[in-house]
This record gives sequence, C-alpha cells and structure tokens, in this order.
Amino acid sequence: MASRKSNESEREVGSSTGHEPVFVMSMETLGEEKNSNTSSEPTDIRGRKFPLPVDSEHKAKTIKIYSFAAPHMQTFHLSWFSFMICFFSTFAAPPLMPVIRDNLNLTKADVGNSGIASVSGSIISRLLMGTICDLVGPRYGCAILMMLTAPAVFCMPLVSTVTGFILVRFCIGFALATFVSCQFWMSSMFNSKIVGLANGTAAGWGNLGGGITQLVMPLVYGLIRHIGAENYTAWRLAFFVPGVIQTFMGLLVLTVGQDLPDGNYAELKRSGDKVKDSFQRVLWNAVSNYRMYIFALTYGYCFGVELTVDNIIAEYFYDRFDLNLQTAGIIASTFGLMNIVARPLGGVLSDLVARRFGMRGRLWNLWIIQTLGGVLCIVLGISGNLTSAIVVMLIFSFFVQAACGATFGIIPFISRRSLGVISGATGAGGNVGAVVTQALFFMKSTYSTEKGILLMGVMMVCVTMVIFLVYFPQWGGMLCPESKATEEDYYKSEWDELEQTRGLHLASLKFAENAKSERGRRVAPALVSSPEHEIRV
Amino acid sequence: MSAMKIALVLSVALLALVSVAEAGVSFKSLNSSKTLTVQAKIQATNLTSGQAHVGTDHLVISWALNSSFDGTGKDASYVNVKIKLCYAPVSQTDRGWRKTKDDLEKDKTCSKGITQQKYVPTGNTTIWRITKDVPGAVYFVRVYAVDALGTQLAFGQTTDKTKTTNLIQIVPISGRHVSIDIAAAVFSVFSVGSLMGFLSLEAIKQRKANSKAIFSFFRAAFTDIIRGQSMLREIKII
Repeated sequence: MASRKSNESEREVGSSTGHEPVFVMSMETLGEEKNSNTSSEPTDIRGRKFPLPVDSEHKAKTIKIYSFAAPHMQTFHLSWFSFMICFFSTFAAPPLMPVIRDNLNLTKADVGNSGIASVSGSIISRLLMGTICDLVGPRYGCAILMMLTAPAVFCMPLVSTVTGFILVRFCIGFALATFVSCQFWMSSMFNSKIVGLANGTAAGWGNLGGGITQLVMPLVYGLIRHIGAENYTAWRLAFFVPGVIQTFMGLLVLTVGQDLPDGNYAELKRSGDKVKDSFQRVLWNAVSNYRMYIFALTYGYCFGVELTVDNIIAEYFYDRFDLNLQTAGIIASTFGLMNIVARPLGGVLSDLVARRFGMRGRLWNLWIIQTLGGVLCIVLGISGNLTSAIVVMLIFSFFVQAACGATFGIIPFISRRSLGVISGATGAGGNVGAVVTQALFFMKSTYSTEKGILLMGVMMVCVTMVIFLVYFPQWGGMLCPESKATEEDYYKSEWDELEQTRGLHLASLKFAENAKSERGRRVAPALVSSPEHEIRV
Repeated sequence: MSAMKIALVLSVALLALVSVAEAGVSFKSLNSSKTLTVQAKIQATNLTSGQAHVGTDHLVISWALNSSFDGTGKDASYVNVKIKLCYAPVSQTDRGWRKTKDDLEKDKTCSKGITQQKYVPTGNTTIWRITKDVPGAVYFVRVYAVDALGTQLAFGQTTDKTKTTNLIQIVPISGRHVSIDIAAAVFSVFSVGSLMGFLSLEAIKQRKANSKAIFSFFRAAFTDIIRGQSMLREIKII
C-alpha cells in the first residue's frame, strides 16, 4: 500500500504532460485510492474487473486470440483490423491495374510512379504518427488518420488523369501510418513479455491487407460488371468498398476503443513509470547508433520488397501468363496472405535461435532468411512457367515476410532508450526501400517486369550483406565473437554522466539484466534474473 | 535442415529453367502470306482514318482474298478469318502489355477481337459498333486467316508495313458518372463530418468534466480553509 501511495505522488509530480489540467489529476488520485481500498482485484478507473491477468500497469500478461473482451483483446482486434483495412485501401488499385491503365491511358512510367506514390506518403506519416500517439493517444491517432484518408479513397472513383491518379494514391498511402498506432497501442495494452508476440501478430495480420485486396477487388469488380456496369465504371464503383469499411472502422475505434487498459487519455493521467525523457537526447542517441541505419537499409529490402511485390505482382501474372483479372488476383493474393504465418514465424524462429546462439544466432538467422528470399526472387524472375512461378512466389513470400519478423526480433535490443525512434526509422526505411526499388527496376521500359524482379532479387542479396557489419560488444557480430563488455555497459552508455547521476538509466539496467538472454547458452544460471528481485522492491 | 532447404531451392530453380512453352506461329513467317486485303472505314465519315467514338460510332470492315492470289490455291486451308483491332506503334510505346512480339502466342498487338467469319475467297464485310470497353488509343485493323484449329496461316491489315497509314483514333468513355461523383462527395463529407462531430462532442464532455472538477476543487479548498480557521480558533491562535 505504501508503495502505491508513493507511486501516486510520483505520478502527480513527474508526469504532467502539459495537456491535462492539474486539478483533474488530483481528483483522480483520490478516486484510485478508494478503489484499491475496497477490492483486491485490479480494476480500471470505473471499477470494472479485467478479463485477462494483468500486471501492475494493468497491461495484459497473456493473449487470447479468440476473445473480444474489453479492453485488451478488443483493442488487439480493433487495432490489427484497422491496420489491415488501411493496407487494403493502399493496395486496392494494383489488382485492377489492367483496367485502370487502359481507362487512364497510363504508360509503364505512370504505373510505376503511382506505385512509388502509394508507399512514399507513409514515410512521413509514420514518422509523425509516433508523436501524435504520444500527444493524443493511439485511439485518436488511428481513427483520425483513417477517417481523414477515407475521402482520398472516395476520390479514386473520380480520377480521369494520370496526375490525379498518382495524387490520390499518394494521399491514400498516408493511411499506412496506422502501423505505428497499432504497435503503440499493443505496447500500451500488453506486458513486455508478450508484447513481441502481440506486435508481431498484429503487424503480420495487418500486412494481410495487401494480400486480401488482390483477392477481393477483382471479385468485387467482376460482380459489378456482372450486374451490368461498363468496365471503366465498375472499377470506380469497386473503390467504395474499401472507403466504406475504412470509415466504419474509424467510427468503431472512436466509439469502442480506448487508449489504455484503464480508459482514455482524456479521462486519466498517464502512468508515471515512464521517465520523462528529452526528445533531443533520444533522437541523438538513435542517430548516433550505426545499427539503426543498417537495419533501416535491410528492412527496406525485406518489407520494401514486400510492398513492391504487392504493387506489381497481379499485373505481372496478368501480363506474363495471360490470365484473367480474377485469376491473377487470386494468385497475387497468396503472396500477401502468407503473412498470417510467415511474419510471426520469422520472429519465433529468431527467438528459437537466440535461445542457443544468442544475438549472433539472430543475426545469422536474419541474414540466411533474407538472402534466401533474394535468391528466390531471382528464380521468380526467370520462371517462365506458370506453375513454377506460383510455387516459387509462395516460398519467396514466406522468406521475405519471415525476414521482416526476424528484423523486429533484433530491433528491441539495439537501444532501450530510443526504441521508438529506431522502430520508426526502420519502418520508414522499409518504405524508402520500396520507393527506391520501384524507381530503379519497375519504371522504365528498358527492363521487362521479369527482369526487374530478377534485379530486385540481386539487390536483396547484395544489400543484406551489410548485416555482417553489425557488432554488439557484449554479444559479438556474425563473424566476430563478443568482447569483455557487458550488457550493462552497452545500455548504460546511452545515458551521459549527468543523467546517470540523476539515476535516469536505472530502467535501462533492468532491461540489460533481462537482455543477458541474448548470450545464448553462455548465460550462467546464476546470472539469470529471478522474479524475487522484482517483488522485494 | 539447411541442406534440405538448399536442395528444395535448387530443384525449384531447375523446374523454373525448364519452362515448357509452346511457341506459336511466327509473324515473320506469315509475311509471305499477306494474301488478304482489308479495309476499315468509320461509318459516319466514310474515311479510313480519323476519330471514332466508342458506343456510338461503327467501323465498316471489308476483307477479301487479294486478286493476285486468285486461283493459286494458297487459300486451300483457310477455314475462318479472325478480325482484330490492333494497336498502332504510338499507342504501344512505354506500354509493355501491348508489345509486339514475333511469336503470335505471346504477341499483344491485336488483343481486341472484333469478330470471326467463315472464309470465302470473295470476302465479306462486317459492321461493328465500337464497344465501350475499348481503351482510348490509335488502332488499325488486321485480319488473320486461320485453319480449323485456329492457327494463323495468313493475314491482311488496313495499314502499311510501318503502321503509319489508315490509323483510326478511338475516343473512349471516361467511366465517370454524375451519380458516382455525388456518392463520393456524400461519403467523404460523412467521414470527415462524423469525425469532427465526435471530436467536438468529446471536447464538450471534457470541458464539462473540467468545469465540474474546478467547482469541486474550489469547494474542497474552501471547506479546508474554513476547517483550518476553526481549528486555529480552537487552539486560540486566531
């Protein structure tokens, strides 16, 4: 009880974020004290019990996929579905491209430009979304983004020029920033032990949207044609489907969603455990860590390749193998649908390898998976037979998406202090990779699409080699063994001496203790932190 | 496990390389068989080139065996003719999906089929209303003489070898309708409007909660002050 009281006084003093009136905070403190007096089970601000076991921050300790119970699982499903629908809208045009390119008289360069536009908008929006979530909460961030980009989706039926088409795809692409709100929301709702699984599953299922759209849009188009519309009208009408779903999800998130397990930002004050950090220092710490750049680059060649393929694959199958729109769409959708298992499995593989080989194992795991993905991409480019192309594409999709999952198995260990910035930069790097790849290989008529795919595979293999340059002093790199440095040295070094004297680095030390698991089998049993430590404090 | 992975990859690679593709007739081989003469006119203007609108304009296409081949027996195996609408080079540039390839199985020049007729040496005419799904581009008309299986044996076309004469520009529909425009506007306004509505509602609720809190805060503070005063009076300080 005493610890709870001191916690609350800390929260009063230290956590003013400047956007809630101070007098509201003090009233709520009393309310919470009353709550904890009368019941022994954790409840939210309104006195409701949690359906899942929770920790001291009321974050869930387990995840029940089939449950929709508020607040944790409801948030999980709202969050991944919103992200999925944004992916759906962003990649709704590519499966219908054979019709759109004839309607708008597009050249290959125009199609390429629209593909680049669709993924470049979110570079900026992903970087901004982190700040927006910090300020107003992930619920508002997600809903506002979805409901403001829905008009862009509704503008697609109105385009009649190349410029209009590219502009609309650019605007719709902003919606991909829901990735950030999704991850932020998961991190607020789920305990750090399972946040990796929650984040990876939500991200993977969100990316599914890129696959589902390839399947659904041609079917919707076919249905509308069947009802009697002309083809150039049918594709326009088909776009009302993603638009309406996006608006509906935005409303649902606003009405049903909540920012934190206890309630919404506006009702509560933020939990005081988070140390108020200086944005400049956090940014500098990230920018001066060379590993951020390496992983932003390599993520550009797994996630970036995934985005590129989402943009070109339906058209590729339609053109090269003379399939009809619906068949090409079904085949193309299998690429994105592999995300159901591939991305989470990539993370799981990374964790499994780390148990035996630690961080060095994770690095080798990522390099092998991504390089194999590159090799399969090369093979896809030279597959002239439909069956072999489909088989190769399926295996290729597994490796590319597993590489994305494996990358985020490593990212949390690069920095504890600047995790948000580094995750955001990695994500943005993914989009930059998509932009560069499409600009280099899928714009000019000098390369046929199959040659572009081959060259993309070559680039994947070459770029992935930079993982060899990653070195953690306490764990080693791919080729070099570890030095005498410890995890504490590494994570403490993110804080300067002044900050260390103020004790701001203590949370990082706790993290360093847990990170010892990245040594693999070298971890001596005595070094593994036991739960008793946490209870005593 | 890694050895199995490598083996799988190699076998798939082999499969991919051994791509069995049946080659079609080579267009170059048909050059010696340009036995048909073809003419296409826009019905409204009776000209062999110019602009035509989808949905309203008609093309009058007439074909026949070239008189120089009469009685040579070259047309002995012709069973049917396939009349196709083909892209002119200006509409093919930078559009790989309309590329001309020598292998007629892979050639995409003439992707729009107009009609198929039975072959007779005296030829035939067809009047075709340009359908609304035809993309806006510059076209010429080509007629293939095929056998019973559909294999091309000979051809004729309205334009010359460089595909610069007798080209018809077809003007397409946009696909847009006023009703679609209105529906899009309504949905967009609803999306933004309901968002703004929600945000203002929540802001109003917040202001109400704040003002309630201000009131309670001052009331509590006032009560504390009174209590404090009475306490101090009791112990005779004031």
